[in-house]
Amino acid sequence: MLSPVLLIAIPLGFSFLAPLLKKGAKYIPPIAMLFNLILSILLVPQVMRKPIIVLLGGGWPPPFCINLVASPLGILLALLISLVGFLVSIYAIAYIKEGATEKYHTLYLLLLTGATGIVLTGDIFNLFVFFEILCISSYALVAYNGDKHGLESAVKYLIQGSIGSSFILIGIALLYGLFGTLNMADIANNISYHSLQSPTLYVALAFFITGFGVEGAIFPLNAWLPDAHSSAPSTISAILSGIAIKTGVYAIARVTYTLFSAKGFMIFIATIGIITLLIGEMSALGQKKDIKRMLAYSSIGQIGLIIFAFGIATYYGIFGALFQLVNHALAKSLLFLASGYMIYRVGSKELSAFEGLGKKMPLSSLVFTIGAFSLIGLPPFAGFMSKISIISAGIKANNTALFVFVIIVLFATIIEGCYFFRVVQNLYFKKSRDPAHNCVRDGCPTTQKSEMPISALIPIIILALLIVAIGIYPRLVTGIIESAAIGLMDKVGYIHQILGIF
Amino acid sequence: MNFLSNNIYYIGCFGLIFIGLYIVLTKKNLIKVIIGINFIDTGVNLFLITIGYIRGGTAPIFSRPGLNPERMVDPIPQALVLTTIVIGVSVLALALSLAIRLYHHYGTLNLRKIRELKW
Repeated sequence: MLSPVLLIAIPLGFSFLAPLLKKGAKYIPPIAMLFNLILSILLVPQVMRKPIIVLLGGGWPPPFCINLVASPLGILLALLISLVGFLVSIYAIAYIKEGATEKYHTLYLLLLTGATGIVLTGDIFNLFVFFEILCISSYALVAYNGDKHGLESAVKYLIQGSIGSSFILIGIALLYGLFGTLNMADIANNISYHSLQSPTLYVALAFFITGFGVEGAIFPLNAWLPDAHSSAPSTISAILSGIAIKTGVYAIARVTYTLFSAKGFMIFIATIGIITLLIGEMSALGQKKDIKRMLAYSSIGQIGLIIFAFGIATYYGIFGALFQLVNHALAKSLLFLASGYMIYRVGSKELSAFEGLGKKMPLSSLVFTIGAFSLIGLPPFAGFMSKISIISAGIKANNTALFVFVIIVLFATIIEGCYFFRVVQNLYFKKSRDPAHNCVRDGCPTTQKSEMPISALIPIIILALLIVAIGIYPRLVTGIIESAAIGLMDKVGYIHQILGIF
Repeated sequence: MNFLSNNIYYIGCFGLIFIGLYIVLTKKNLIKVIIGINFIDTGVNLFLITIGYIRGGTAPIFSRPGLNPERMVDPIPQALVLTTIVIGVSVLALALSLAIRLYHHYGTLNLRKIRELKW
């Protein structure tokens, strides 16, 4: 019996199994995520024909119960979450050795439970609860190393995140006060009936965008992200950058398109996206001391690009945004995972410490380069396809402001190229520094190859192969992304499927 | 005066939210900031309850004959508040435990001094 409920129930159940098995805890997340991965792949053909709606709580018809909606968009993101979660958990088998490892695995699975729940639920309060599961487990995971920087950034993240969650709750309360319902389709139905006139609706929309914007790290609310991503363990940075901030973006898209269908508001979304893009990329260019901080700022920039593409508000724009979201999740988790062991081997996060690493860790350097090129948007890799679809969508939209924004996107790509090529140049075209300086630990000879362990290498290579495969043959994913984009645009269809009216 | 007495709960809960935001934005001590977050939580919970509240209403249970369904308070916000209270408590516990660990490392809870991570 294939049911989307299992996508949430399996990681939730397995997460509390992890503390019971002290030694075997590290094998629990890969098993759970492998199950999720297979299940979501099996669900894809069924969902493409007709979205599956699961009723929870008494089996009442939709406006009166909590329901899960496995639409193409939801299942696409669930597939992405389980794929990245599976690969990162394999990497973590060798990487996470110190500290309370079984607690790490419990929290890791809870984080993925929250993320899967957010993308599958059809109830706005349920979305808030899953959001809190995701946030609380990520606060704890950022502090997992227990060092000064980890704790400081976790506290920063917690303060900002909990205020953001309170804002979301105020938005939910305002909507409930207006319409007396929590079902997203029912709220959407009511709002299209009122056609966004009441000022309370604008206030609620502002609260939602601020609240989800904290998790999605859009510009004025992004202060926690570089700290949290750079001081967490590399596996957690990968999952936060690849999955957690995407859920914030998903929630913003869901709220603006499905709930409010705020067409006139979209140019504002595009503007904040562009500002986020510029700020993120320019800050990333300034980072020379810490490669993870550079990658984190680059994540902010990419989130800005995705939000800008959502703000174009045409079918092509949404298609480009979702495509870019998938590619960024793959490429950024690849970059964080690859840099994790590279930092571990050279013993420093500084960019200059990576000089000549291409000879010592050839495979890691190669996959790092693939990820970096995909993010810049060079042709044979996946990033090219999504960036060009965003740019062509912006031009096709026939709007002067959007045309100017497209020029800014191209300019930001140049900045992106600058800082990624700097790292690649350090890896391949610079001599490694004098051995005494480079090898502080047990005097290892510099010429010796010190690749990562095999269990860490496999997931990175799979990610790199996926990026190349999508770049060469985009049809691999575009089918489901197209129907997801149509599903997000088609508000009436969404209401109709769930409430069964019209 | 009539406006005040009609909207006293709304004024109260947004007052709590703004006091909380003020504390979070201006206070230097981490514990005080955490208390501010708790203020915001409480304000939001009160707001949720207020939305479903009817003055002089009854509990939404037909416990005795002759109860008017029109006069019953809405039970859904109360169920939501139970959930958010639990979430609030767990965030509070996590925040306080992080504060203890932070104090071990820095020897202070002054947020103006805990700022090693910049740009």
